[in-house]
Amino acid sequence: MNYVIEVEHLTKKYKSFKAIDDLSFKVKKGEILGLLGPNGSGKSTTINCLLALLNFKQGHIKIFGKEMKQDAYDIKQDIGVVFQDVAVFDELTVYENIDYFGGLYIKDKNLRKTYINEALDLVSLKDFAKFYPKQLSGGLIRRLNIACGIVHKPKLIFLDEPTVAVDPQSRNNILNGIRKLRDDGATIIYTTHYMEEAEMICDNIVILDKGNIIAEGSSDELKKLAKIEEKVIVEIMNFDDKYLKMIGKLKNVVDVTYASSILTVKYNKGQNNLVTFIEYLKENKIEYFKIYSERPTLNDVFLEITGKELRD
Amino acid sequence: MIVFKTYLKIINKRKWPIILYTVLLIVFGSITISTSDDNINFVASKPDVLIVNNDDSALTRSLVNYLEENTNIIDTVKLDNVDDALFYREVNYVIYIPSDFETAFMNDDNPSITVKGSGDYYASFGEIILNRYLTVANTYLRLGYDKEDIISNTESVLSNKVDVSLINETDTTTLAKVTYYYNFTNYSILAGLIYAISIVMFSFNKKMICYRTEISSLNKTKYNSYLLLSNGAFALLLWFFYVLLSFIMLGSVMFSISGLLYMINSFFFVFFALTLALLLGKLKLDKNAVGGIINVIALGSSFLCGAFVPAAYLPDMVLKIAHVLPSYYFINNNELIKDIVTFDFGSLLPFVINILIMIGFSVIVILLTNGIGKKNVNTNE
Repeated sequence: MNYVIEVEHLTKKYKSFKAIDDLSFKVKKGEILGLLGPNGSGKSTTINCLLALLNFKQGHIKIFGKEMKQDAYDIKQDIGVVFQDVAVFDELTVYENIDYFGGLYIKDKNLRKTYINEALDLVSLKDFAKFYPKQLSGGLIRRLNIACGIVHKPKLIFLDEPTVAVDPQSRNNILNGIRKLRDDGATIIYTTHYMEEAEMICDNIVILDKGNIIAEGSSDELKKLAKIEEKVIVEIMNFDDKYLKMIGKLKNVVDVTYASSILTVKYNKGQNNLVTFIEYLKENKIEYFKIYSERPTLNDVFLEITGKELRD
Repeated sequence: MIVFKTYLKIINKRKWPIILYTVLLIVFGSITISTSDDNINFVASKPDVLIVNNDDSALTRSLVNYLEENTNIIDTVKLDNVDDALFYREVNYVIYIPSDFETAFMNDDNPSITVKGSGDYYASFGEIILNRYLTVANTYLRLGYDKEDIISNTESVLSNKVDVSLINETDTTTLAKVTYYYNFTNYSILAGLIYAISIVMFSFNKKMICYRTEISSLNKTKYNSYLLLSNGAFALLLWFFYVLLSFIMLGSVMFSISGLLYMINSFFFVFFALTLALLLGKLKLDKNAVGGIINVIALGSSFLCGAFVPAAYLPDMVLKIAHVLPSYYFINNNELIKDIVTFDFGSLLPFVINILIMIGFSVIVILLTNGIGKKNVNTNE
């Protein structure tokens, strides 16, 4: 198997605190790996170790089959990073910023020019090439941040929360760009707080908590880990709490909650749960505005495994 | 190359403050040059002396003759009005020669000549002339000469002329202007250079920019060298520009040894300013605070060390405080250069010591900068 990243027994300590504890995983060539976990789970520490920005005393990291070190410039040549915090020069235009960061990898001026134009196209910033970062909206700056990280056409790209605080248009643009990068052959490590994004674009997902991998696999594989199979969601005004206990005792129901006019009923298995529940509501003359059923999301899996929301 | 190019681009975006400080230097230099008089002429002058000679003798006649040659003899003042004449400066010095002065002198009775003066330097000058004659005559008297020989020898000695030629043709007036100019560069260099470099380094040292650079394939040592070279090149360019400006504004004096010393002195000061700028660039300061800090450093040291007001006019306490600032040694050297007449080891030693002190300050700042750099690395670990 052709692995781009191989991490074995990686442990990173800050004094006595273990930020990463015996972490091992592999990333295949051309895949998008989602690195998920709540704040403080060790995502950033893992990425910083992978990039040799942090020293560690235990474990091994191989990238493109070679040991990753601070002076492994041949490996770094094929790595691109898009940090969560925007890393651009305020004094340079969009074009000049991309040119500078591209110039750290590519000496050939003409080749760089071609790559800059391709990067501008990828993030749809061509019309803003002469703008300064201060003249750009939050979404456009994030796109510039991405362009600066991938202009040299790296084979391995780290994207750390690239869509935080961006408008939907920019988000779609960014996600499309990431897919295109993958289609062009790049391997991508993607960290995000948005589960739906991870579901949409990640081939594989690693869920970290307290420096450990607590689950990994594709989106579908992870969903199978969840105890629930179906959720029925009902919009009800003035719901009487006495029904909560009764609903909880219905067949296959594992959990029922009511908050903000939303009643959520979780089933561990079974078919026709929605139809059965509609009948139950009719029988008890409970009026509702809307009712629908959905499969458990990655967020439910995450909540079940870690006991907290991803954004906690 | 891309690092150097980007460095220049950022400098270019931040050029206005540097231009402002340079314009200040030009304006201040021009004012200094235009307000100083290029031609200071000295005219020989003599004190106005009234002689009341009550001893008609050969010795007193010889004395009066000598006084006539070296002073303006006033004979229009009435003796009753001597005090008024002295008050109104109609006469500067009045000499009363008593009767039998010659006899008493030859008998070594120490006869006294009564004098009155106006209290100014003309009166002092008159006294010097009178004393000169009497001292020489007295010397011959002690050696046992007779009256005729005393008179003839005294006249002969006092008539000797000594040719004086200047061994140094230093134009002190122009050097004073050069000193003013280079003293003011203390402000321009500190404000301009530190502002530009620390602001640029502030951009390059931003945490995320550093991360992005660190994960790039550009060798870290090479990258740091490029940055250091860029800073050095900019500092050198600015120094060269200020020196060139001094050549344009002050002319040929800059081609002298003194001119060379001014340049050397400013070079080492620019080097110190460069190290200080790099230190400020490393500190995690708010970008807006940088301007304020620079003004405090540049204006503060300029006032304390005598860049704007000559150090001679500053209180001792202020000068004592100024000793802890490199600007003091830079400005002190400028003042030294102005006063150096002959260029030998003795006269240049204080200059060299001041240069060494400035280098010492630079080394301390470099060590501090490295310390901060290491601390930042440790924070990442």
